[in-house]
Amino acid sequence: MSKKYNYNYVFLFYDVDEKRCNKVFKVCKKYLNHYQKSVFRGEISPSKLLKLKKDLDKIIDKDYDYVSVIKLLNQSFFEEEHIGKYDLQDGEMFI
Amino acid sequence: MGEAVRYIMSEGELKRKDNSICFRKGGRNYYIPIEGIKEIYCLNEVSINTKLLDFLASNGIVLHFFNYYGNYSGTFFPREKYISGRITVKQANKYSYERLKVAKAIVKGIAINVVEVLYSYYKNGNHEIKNNIDIIRYEITKALDPLTNIKEVLSIEGAIWTQFYDALRRILNKDFEFLKRVKRPPDNPVNAMISLGNSILYTKTITQIYHTHLNQSISFLHEPSDGRFSLALDLSEVFKPIIVFKTILKLVNKKMIKVDKHFDKALKYCIMNEDGKQIFIKELNQRLEETFKHPKLKRKVSYNTAIKLDALKLVKYVLEDQAFVPFNVKELV
Repeated sequence: MSKKYNYNYVFLFYDVDEKRCNKVFKVCKKYLNHYQKSVFRGEISPSKLLKLKKDLDKIIDKDYDYVSVIKLLNQSFFEEEHIGKYDLQDGEMFI
Repeated sequence: MGEAVRYIMSEGELKRKDNSICFRKGGRNYYIPIEGIKEIYCLNEVSINTKLLDFLASNGIVLHFFNYYGNYSGTFFPREKYISGRITVKQANKYSYERLKVAKAIVKGIAINVVEVLYSYYKNGNHEIKNNIDIIRYEITKALDPLTNIKEVLSIEGAIWTQFYDALRRILNKDFEFLKRVKRPPDNPVNAMISLGNSILYTKTITQIYHTHLNQSISFLHEPSDGRFSLALDLSEVFKPIIVFKTILKLVNKKMIKVDKHFDKALKYCIMNEDGKQIFIKELNQRLEETFKHPKLKRKVSYNTAIKLDALKLVKYVLEDQAFVPFNVKELV
């Protein structure tokens, strides 16, 4: 996809040193919903995404850590399948 | 996005944690991302502390509280960001001199939207309600123009709703018997849904007005009294038929909600149970997020935003004397 799109939904995976794990976790949960151990996802506006990336930039060590963001247009652009027990996830409208 | 809402349906503790919000329930933490959230609804017993309130205030998040029966109990909103003495003075000025004009515009808006909702049923073959439509369209609306007294305008509004409820009785599925509107407490399933829907719409309107410079307590149709935000009552009125009642009609006629499954009839009156509330609020929220092409703005706008646009129209009216025409479905076509 070209850069013209406005991405409004992201998946974020991180693989960082133990020392920085918690810091990255704290930043991510401000913007996105916790999905699995080191996976976040959720709706986010392009401007908020820039802010999130800037926040992460300050924390991680670029020579060692790796954070990947998969950007999607919106929630209807993928299909999800569950195997195993599906708990109430963060990010649902009702808690 | 940007209008994100969370509904807290279970008991627990809401607190600030690591510059974000955390809801603790049954030993598990549920994180609510602070960025992008606008409103939080507490529909059950939730403990909060001042640390959280301060944090919400600095992020401009509005917190609504409802009691166990689903009645609205109050709103916490951050220190007013948008204060304008100029607008408050002018708004009060308009109230003293041109109250009737605005009140009439609102009542006319209700009539248009009510007819629009009913007409779609008439078109699809329900001819019983033709009488009600005609009465609203020709008799009631005509009677509005010459009025000079706010009490009479209010009685016209009452007459419109009476006709609407009468028609509703003929549209609704047989399981849902609906004779007349009863409040505090609602006495049957439909009244319970109307009450819950109206109070949620009311809170949504409060949030939208909060983001404008208007004064929440100076209203035009309703009497500006103490203790409630009567302007929100005014502005939410025209949205009731298209948001609350359309949701109810959809849920009932598509059998998504059932009397014996989703209502608690233990006491004399009916209240919705947890499941029922969840289904209802989800559908209502979907309706609010639904978008349509705005004829003037030439872009897609959700009904939620339309409420805010109505508030902004009122600002324009107050400041620049531009005629206030509340939102109506007809203007879309």
